[in-house]
Amino acid sequence: MSSFNIHGVSVSNGIAIGKAHLISNALLEVIHYQLDKNEVPSEIKRLSRAMNEVKKDLLKIKKQLKKDSSDEFSAFIDTHLMILTDKNFSEKPKKIISKDTCNAEWALKKHMDFFVRKFEQIEDEYIKERKNDVIQVVERILKVLLGHPSQSSQINKGNSAILVAHDISPADALQFKKHQYAAFLTDMGGSTSHTAILARSLNIPSIVALQNARGLIKNNEQIIVDGNQGIVIINPSEEILKEYQVRQNLWGIEQKKLSKIKNIQSKTLNNEKIELLANIEVPDDMQSVKDNGATGIGLFRTEFLFMNRKELPNEEEQFKIYKTVAKSMKDKTVVIRTLDSGADKLTSADTTISANPALGLRAIRLCLSEPQLFNIQLRAILRASKFGKIKILIPMLSSLSELRQTKLLIERAKKSLHNQKILYNKNIKIGGMIEVPAVAINAELFAQELDFLSIGTNDLIQYTLAIDRTDDRVSHLYNPLHPAILKLINITIKAGKKYNKEVSICGEMAGDSKLTKLLLGMGLRHFSMHPSRILSVKKQVLNSNTQKLLPWSTKILKIKESETIETLIHKMNQ
Amino acid sequence: MIKKKMKIINKLGLHARASSKLTQLACSFTSEIFLIKDKNKVNAKSIMEVLMLAASKNTIILVMADGIDEKEAISDIENLFINYFGEGE
Repeated sequence: MSSFNIHGVSVSNGIAIGKAHLISNALLEVIHYQLDKNEVPSEIKRLSRAMNEVKKDLLKIKKQLKKDSSDEFSAFIDTHLMILTDKNFSEKPKKIISKDTCNAEWALKKHMDFFVRKFEQIEDEYIKERKNDVIQVVERILKVLLGHPSQSSQINKGNSAILVAHDISPADALQFKKHQYAAFLTDMGGSTSHTAILARSLNIPSIVALQNARGLIKNNEQIIVDGNQGIVIINPSEEILKEYQVRQNLWGIEQKKLSKIKNIQSKTLNNEKIELLANIEVPDDMQSVKDNGATGIGLFRTEFLFMNRKELPNEEEQFKIYKTVAKSMKDKTVVIRTLDSGADKLTSADTTISANPALGLRAIRLCLSEPQLFNIQLRAILRASKFGKIKILIPMLSSLSELRQTKLLIERAKKSLHNQKILYNKNIKIGGMIEVPAVAINAELFAQELDFLSIGTNDLIQYTLAIDRTDDRVSHLYNPLHPAILKLINITIKAGKKYNKEVSICGEMAGDSKLTKLLLGMGLRHFSMHPSRILSVKKQVLNSNTQKLLPWSTKILKIKESETIETLIHKMNQ
Repeated sequence: MIKKKMKIINKLGLHARASSKLTQLACSFTSEIFLIKDKNKVNAKSIMEVLMLAASKNTIILVMADGIDEKEAISDIENLFINYFGEGE
C-alpha cells in the first residue's frame, strides 16, 4: 500500500496514530467493516431478521392505527410495508453483502444511496420527495441492526480509532463524546465547526475541510493525524511512523509541562490579575474545568440541554443542572447563557430550517417569541442563583428594545418566584453577548444598561465579514485579524472601561494563545475559552507585561491590512 | 397479452399512496403486469419500480398484462386510473 498525505485545516492540536474508522454521510451511525467469507450467511440472516422485525413493528403500528382510524397514516405504513417486502428493495442488499463481504448496515446504506440518487433525478418534486419513504424504511432497519450493542463496540478498537466522517452535526457530537476516538477527520467544516468544538473538548487532534477524506482513506488503514500542522498521513512508512511516535511523545511532555502552571495564579509580570474562565456545554465538562485551573465559567452554553430529545427540559430538570454547576464552582463565577439555538442546533422536528439560520429566528429572538419556553429557563436559572455566583448572559442582542424586553421578562420571572416564596439572588447580574456588529458599534449604549459584556467573536466575525462559517468555500475569508474586527472589539472594551463594566471574550479568539498578548494590550482582562486552551493562554499571561503591550496594540489597531497585523503580532509574541 | 394506454389524471401523479394502491391491485392478479413510460418498463408488482417510474399528472402509461386473468387486470387497473386512484382529485 502506498503512502500519501492529505492537507486540511487543523482545528485541534496534538498527534494521533491509529486505524481509520469510516462513517457514512446520511446515516451517521453506519460504519463499514469487512467480513470473512464464512460470516456472510449469518450476516444475511441478521439483515433478514432485522427486516422481519421491522415488518412486525409496522404491522403492529398499522393495527393500532386502525383503531384510531387515521387513514392517512395507515397509507404511509402500507407504503413502508410494501417497500420493505418489495424484492427490489430487500434482495439487493443481501447480494451486496456476499459480493463485497461487508456488513449488513453498509450494504443497506449503499443500496439506499443508489435509490436516493435515482430519485434525485426525478423532476417531479412531489415524487422526488418519496425518496424519504425509502430512507425512513432503511433507518428503521438500521435502528434494529444497530440496536445490538455488541455490533458497535466490536468496531471500536480501543482508543486508537480515528473517526473519518463527512461532517459532525451537533446532535452527532453528543453521541461521539461517549466513544473514545483518538482523532477526528472530516471532509467539511472550519475552525468554528462543531467538529472543532467537540475535538477540543475531548482534547484530541482534529483536521477538517479535507474535502474528500472519506473517498481517499479506506476503513482500517493506518493513519497519522498531525493536528499541529493539519496533515494526515495515510499508510505511513516505518521511518515516518517512528518519527511520529517520537513527536507524539514530545507533544505529551510539552502538555505535561503546561500542567505544571495549573495552580499558579493567573497574573501578568506587572501583577495584573487576569481571569481565565472556561466555556462549557454540559455538567460533565466540569472535570476538565477543574483539571485546567479555570477561575470560573465564562460561558455555559445551555442549548446542549435542549438537544437530542423530543421534549424540552422542564424547569426542575434545568434547575438541577444549573445548581450542580453553580455549587461545584462554589464562590467562582458561573455565566449561564440563555438558549442560543437556531435551526442548526435543535434536533426537534418542529423547527423549520431557514435558508440562513445564522440570521434567522434564533437565540434571544427565539426566546422572545416563545416567552413560555424562555420563562421556564429564566426561572430555573434564578432558582439556581441561590446556590452560587450565577450571572445571566443574553445571546445575539441586536437592539436596546430587545434588551429591555428581556429584562422585563427576567423581572417578571423574579416576581413570580417572589410570589411563590421561592428564593433567588435578587441582584443577579445580567450581561449581553456582543456578536451583532450593530451592538458592538453601539457598545456604549449597551454598557450603560447591562452589568457586563461578553464578546462572542465567532459570530461577530461571521456577521461582520458576512461569511457563512459552515461553507468551506468561503471559510478562508473568516479572519479574526481583519482590522474591522479588531476595531469592534476595541470599541467594546473601551465602552466597558468607560462605564466600569466587565468585558470578556468568549469566542475562539480568547483561546488562541497567539492573540493573548494583543488582547491584553487592548485592555481585555477576562478571557473565556475551552478548558483545554486555558493553560497555553496562561503561559502567555505569565510572560506578559500589560504596560509594555499597550503601545504594540495601539500600533496594531492603526494598521490597514491583516497581513501586516499578523506580522506585528508575531513580533509582539517574541 | 393485452396492452392499453392509460392517462394519469390525479393531481399528485403516481406518488407513494397511488403507487401502493396500484401495486396492491397488481399483486392480486396472477398475470405479469408491466407499466411502460417512454423507454422505461417496470414491474407493476414492485412498489420501488413503480415509484421510480416517476409518473406525474397527465403522463400516458402503457399498461401490459400477460396471464390467465389479464382481462380483469387491465380493466381493474383502468378503473383505478379513471377514479383518480381513489383520491377524488
